Amino acid sequence: MMKRKWLVAGLACVAVIAFAAPKGTVARSTALKYPAHAELDGVAMGAVLLTSQEARSNFVSDLNHCCLVVEVAMYPQQGQPVEVSLNDFSLRTIGTDNAVKAGSAKLISGTLQKKAAASRDVVVSPSVGVGYESGAVYDPMTGQPRRGGGIYTQTGVGVGIGSPGGQGSGTDADRKVMETELDEKGLSEGTVATPAAGYLYFPLAKKAKNARYELEYMLNGRKVVLRLAE
Amino acid sequence: MRRAAISLGLALALGVLQNYGLGQTPAQNSDDAASAVSGNPPNTPPDKSAQDQDRKWHVKLGPVLVGAGYSRFRGPFYYPYGFSQFDGFYRASLWDPYWAYPVSYPSGYFGYNDGWGEVKISLEPRSVDPKLAEVYVDNAFAGTADHLKNIWLEPGAYELSVLSKNRTAYRRRIYVLSGRSLKIAAKLDSVSPEKPAESKP
Repeated sequence: MMKRKWLVAGLACVAVIAFAAPKGTVARSTALKYPAHAELDGVAMGAVLLTSQEARSNFVSDLNHCCLVVEVAMYPQQGQPVEVSLNDFSLRTIGTDNAVKAGSAKLISGTLQKKAAASRDVVVSPSVGVGYESGAVYDPMTGQPRRGGGIYTQTGVGVGIGSPGGQGSGTDADRKVMETELDEKGLSEGTVATPAAGYLYFPLAKKAKNARYELEYMLNGRKVVLRLAE
Repeated sequence: MRRAAISLGLALALGVLQNYGLGQTPAQNSDDAASAVSGNPPNTPPDKSAQDQDRKWHVKLGPVLVGAGYSRFRGPFYYPYGFSQFDGFYRASLWDPYWAYPVSYPSGYFGYNDGWGEVKISLEPRSVDPKLAEVYVDNAFAGTADHLKNIWLEPGAYELSVLSKNRTAYRRRIYVLSGRSLKIAAKLDSVSPEKPAESKP
């Protein structure tokens, strides 16, 4: 009886591992392949700041409305695993004191849902037309038939106002999907023994134009700074 | 009375989106996570000043409709060059863009959101016969690609697979949001006939 229980538990574990959704992204061959890279205590790391276009094409969630996205890869030395925590990453605007910690998938998806629920679509559809009209008609004044015809033109504008959340992503179901996506594509937290990569999401209230950013990472109490170029 | 009308329509959908902070819609949010984001505890009325800042209108330019028409009329009560109470009606019926023309509006227009998301599948290269390309959603056969150019799915994460004989399989995890349209270009490269075919999901 006991054996059977262990067997079932073992099979369940295998099934969970086998069908678990992939996490993060595929790390490039070396940290040097990333535009920004550094090495500290034998741990190499690379990072790249995604452009708005890349964020749009890589994610279904509309991250450009709330955040900056950074892809980070960690390359620990063989036999020396690294403990990765989102709390160790922060993004600083160069030349200012503004810095923001990486947000969790739950936090970011909640922000996106709130923004989507507060938006409303207004669609303006102009229409133009030209035509020819002809026919035999009776003149109401004389009662006599008369042939006539002429060109007419027509213009119009249709305006539609949608309900709140018309852009989508405003429902609880959408928030769960966004949370799943951000979690699955995000950098995995925990012990990393082999090269691992994933996205970090930095919630910024307002993105400054032409601002430059640097990624800060605390490793064993020491700071690694990567200057990001968009 | 007889009236014949011929009309032609051309619709050009321009997806121009502009954001204006005109302020109108109250933020709807009772979710715990979102409340945490806004700094309000659950079940607490949100701060009104904060709501005002979050309200947004998205102004889109919809399809621009251009038409040409011809109408012929004969009857005792028609006034082609003068005022008629029906004239506007006839003209409108001829030119009504949502009645007379075969225009399909993408999801999200006029705020229409039925809670489903759209997945548009196209095959690359174009030489791939869509009748022979099998589409699987979450490992279940959904149909052939010729019938599944547009799929409507509930919000969620799905495993999408497209398989065709003598071609590499296309597999991707997709995320579907309500009222959104996701375009998938499934690349199916040809493989040598000697190579064993990829197994179906």
